[in-house]
Amino acid sequence: MDYRIQLAKRMLANKKGSLIGAVLAVSIGILVIHVNFVIFQGLYDAIVRDLSSYRFGDVRVTDEEDFITKSDVFLVNWLERIPYVEAASSRIGSSVSINVTKNGKLIEEFQIPVVGIDPFRDPRVSTVHETVKEGQYVFSRNSIVVGSSVARDLGGVRVGDSLQVQVTDRFGQDQIRRFLVTGIATSPGGQGLDTSVIVHIDALRDMLSRNGETGEILVKLNDPKKAADVKDLFLRSFPNDDFRAETIEESAEEALSGFRSGIAMINMIGYFGMMSSAFAVVTIQMMLVSSKTREVGIMRAIGAKRMDVLIIFIVQGMMIGAIGAGVGTAFGLTYTFYAKETKMSFQGSLPLEVSYNWPNITQTALMAFALAVVASIYPAFKATKLQPVEAMRYV
Amino acid sequence: MSDTVLEVKNLNKVYGRGDTEVHALMDVSFSVKRGEFLLIVGSSGSGKSTLLNMIGLLDRPTSGQIYIDGVNTTKLTDNQISSFRNSKLGFIFQFSNLLADLTVLENVLLPRNIQRTDKNAINDTINLLKAVGLESQMYKRANKISGGQAQRAAIARGLVNKPAIVLADEPTGNLDSITAETTVQLMRSMAKKLNQTFIIVTHDRHQFGDADRIITIKDGRAFEGEDQPHKMEITV
Repeated sequence: MDYRIQLAKRMLANKKGSLIGAVLAVSIGILVIHVNFVIFQGLYDAIVRDLSSYRFGDVRVTDEEDFITKSDVFLVNWLERIPYVEAASSRIGSSVSINVTKNGKLIEEFQIPVVGIDPFRDPRVSTVHETVKEGQYVFSRNSIVVGSSVARDLGGVRVGDSLQVQVTDRFGQDQIRRFLVTGIATSPGGQGLDTSVIVHIDALRDMLSRNGETGEILVKLNDPKKAADVKDLFLRSFPNDDFRAETIEESAEEALSGFRSGIAMINMIGYFGMMSSAFAVVTIQMMLVSSKTREVGIMRAIGAKRMDVLIIFIVQGMMIGAIGAGVGTAFGLTYTFYAKETKMSFQGSLPLEVSYNWPNITQTALMAFALAVVASIYPAFKATKLQPVEAMRYV
Repeated sequence: MSDTVLEVKNLNKVYGRGDTEVHALMDVSFSVKRGEFLLIVGSSGSGKSTLLNMIGLLDRPTSGQIYIDGVNTTKLTDNQISSFRNSKLGFIFQFSNLLADLTVLENVLLPRNIQRTDKNAINDTINLLKAVGLESQMYKRANKISGGQAQRAAIARGLVNKPAIVLADEPTGNLDSITAETTVQLMRSMAKKLNQTFIIVTHDRHQFGDADRIITIKDGRAFEGEDQPHKMEITV
């Protein structure tokens, strides 16, 4: 082994306090980045996951102007023939007024979003049915699932209650129908249909006087990365229709654009944290150089060049960087593993969608390593400036 | 190979400027033959250590020249000085100055490792350690051996590169009288065995017995012999 590497290793190993301090500084910088990523990227991905699962699918097909008039059965069957597509299902949406009599008192709520779903196909593209914690999902034309927020606003609606729903049809006429509450939907984090009601698609079509029409078709893919391909294929295949197809990122853009800039800011703060750990490395390396002044003098006296001294302290920086990056990445991965396995959530909010972003993890480790090396350049340079005769006066 | 290993010509060293100017060395000239065991003596503050630092290329003179093995060292660059120190000079300091992070063997091996060209370095170093009686201590950390052993290791380190000159600055100054005696004997025996030039700076001339030659430094000036008030002759 080269004597400079051996000496750098020994000097560092014999200053355990400094080594531990420097390694901790680097590893905590990395850990902060990992924690930020797990929490904020996890939250972002969880929102994307829930919006995809509950509202938009991986690809969402709508009409640019109005409702889709082409047969939804035809479109769903066409889409399901694409190998990347796992399932597709149609939905229709509007808003309704609901009233209910509780304990002899009439309670009325206006402008409640209503979603008409196909009870047989929808569970294949969406997990809304899993949010029904009481009762069961929509199963007939007169059943209604009420979001937990709506149920609370209506005075505590329960399964078995009867609701009167009023909707204005396409001709401006009010249509009223009575539904039986079969389930109450509640989702962690409220990204589901907690503020809506869910009915059978045909029941809502009837009320809106839009028989055979569809509001949107949700498409679930077996490989979400193929969303853009499926979208392009669909649009190319129906060039004369006014279809609009959006991937989940496009559908959720409005909800996520602000969040994304928030994540960028948090990441920036994390990287600033990492830079402050570089300052800690500079300080510790300066202390190491200062404590090794006599040794540097001796080495210079017996023939070591300035470059040799520089290499010794740069190698120390590399060792601090490598150990710090390793330890910090291990801490970070342990935290990530814990968050993933425990489906970490905060105060009952939506569980984080935790993933191992290996390019990001590698980049963070490399950046920490590079910062530790860069942080060692100045102290190493200072060490090379020591004159042997001066340095050896330190006894 | 020339018989003269060191030639010092009109060496001056001035510290400070103006009112604070101090002439540490004044017009010092002398030469040393290969294999000589030379003592430089003088009282504290006389300039003997300054002279040794100049010869050891650890400090630059204000004026004058130093030729070592025929090379004018005052014209060398910083990197050339480092290489020259490594290959032509051996050092023995008052406080052995071993690196506490390394073993005795690694310390003695260090000048050879700095050269990075030597395949037999370890065997040569082990033989040298045997010669100075440190065979059983070579794998101990440098800070785990006694002062006398450390100074013997320092002598071995000074000799390991087969230098033109070994420079020793008060090598017994930090040792008790018995250990100092042993150390002096070791240096003398190694000088004789290896025909090695030694230049030793000391304020206690009697510890070294009969030296080949003595130079006295007094108030920055060099005199041949012991406390002789005449100026030495320059032998070029």
